Amino acid sequence: MSFNYGQGYPGGGNPPPSAQYGGNYGAYGAPPSAPYSGAPGPTGGPYGAYGVPGQGGQYGHGPGGPPGGSYGGYGGQAYGGPHASAGNIPPGVNPEAYQWFQSVDTDRSGFINLKELKQALVNSNWSAFNDETCLMMINIFDKTRSGRIDLFGFSALWDFMQRWRAIFQQHDRDRSGCISGMELQQALAQMGYNLSPQFSETVVQRFTVRGMRPGIQLDRFIQVCTQLQSMTQVFRERDTAMTGNIRISYEDFLSGAITRLM
Amino acid sequence: MAYHSPYRAPPHMNAPPDQGFLWNIFQRVDKDRSGVISDSELQQALSNGTWTPFNPVTVRSIISMFDRENKGGVNFNEFAGVWKYITDWQNIFRTYDRDNSGFIDKNELKQALTGFGEHPSYRLSDQFYGTLIDKFDRQRKGQVAFDDFIQCCIVLQRLTDVFRRYDTDQDGWIQVSYEQYLSMVFNIV
Repeated sequence: MSFNYGQGYPGGGNPPPSAQYGGNYGAYGAPPSAPYSGAPGPTGGPYGAYGVPGQGGQYGHGPGGPPGGSYGGYGGQAYGGPHASAGNIPPGVNPEAYQWFQSVDTDRSGFINLKELKQALVNSNWSAFNDETCLMMINIFDKTRSGRIDLFGFSALWDFMQRWRAIFQQHDRDRSGCISGMELQQALAQMGYNLSPQFSETVVQRFTVRGMRPGIQLDRFIQVCTQLQSMTQVFRERDTAMTGNIRISYEDFLSGAITRLM
Repeated sequence: MAYHSPYRAPPHMNAPPDQGFLWNIFQRVDKDRSGVISDSELQQALSNGTWTPFNPVTVRSIISMFDRENKGGVNFNEFAGVWKYITDWQNIFRTYDRDNSGFIDKNELKQALTGFGEHPSYRLSDQFYGTLIDKFDRQRKGQVAFDDFIQCCIVLQRLTDVFRRYDTDQDGWIQVSYEQYLSMVFNIV
């Protein structure tokens, strides 16, 4: 009898693909093959550690969200495929990401920093992405640990974002540009998380932008889902007996949160 | 009261500054004269002493700590708290930044964080302080600047507070379920 967290745990349908981007992934360096992972990730791209989970589903409660489909095949398409790369687009770089990169990297340094990244990413109401989400993504895709990302990192980030965007849109039923607590609950259930509706409500309240109606936009949605993946990983590593409960010391609690959450 | 929090800036370190003095500063920082200092106004006014922009995440953390009505900034009354908070941390930082480099290293950080009294079961290893430097050192110097130091302390404080809520017998260990664990880390970051 073991506790089901969801997320393909244990050995479930679609654990998040776990290869890392580059060699140096700092905070988000989840061990590539945690002992719990079942089959290797289906979408298998090189950037998958924080990739969008597939439709795990079997640990969620109830029917768990709408029938998928709309993003089912999404994850596989972009990586490293032979894009009909026009002119000087390096192989493996998403052409759309390439265009964005060129327009945002105004000083032609070959890198984009936090400020430039914020100019590239917008929510559906055209508000800029929040600093925390941008920083988090820079940490994931900055292989040099220089606080900035090159074209390849940006291309990977772009694909990562597009996949989350597809999931976001699928669950934003009323097309408000915002995910409510209930919509988040359905999204998480579909990803295979076994969490109470109360949890989603609390998270949404926590991340609602001041002065707006309760709900989270794309930037926060990506932040929440990515952090949820990495904190679930931290928990799993400590829950070796798979009981759904852990005993954890003060320092271990701090390190887990600090090294993996930020 | 069992023991006080190690990471909170100690109260009453500075005499409260004169209201006129504060009002003067407030008006200079409140560039758009809205009566509320926003994140970007505060960020522009703050210096970490190293010619790099003040950490925006630190600014957000500080503002949210004092912004009672969730209006996205601080009014004059709240600004007094912000001012005091920052100057208290500044004094601590300067105490440990002995060579005035604008940075403190791992050993200095350790001293700064244990300087306020610490419960034995909440003692942290040297390795942990290395992790802290690694995570909060935005400038990649192997040491932390003032703004990142504050952010580090804020995060430690929040994590410690939430841990203590579960550690009722104060032995430095807790037992939590998956959802409890996620709630703990999500509410504080």
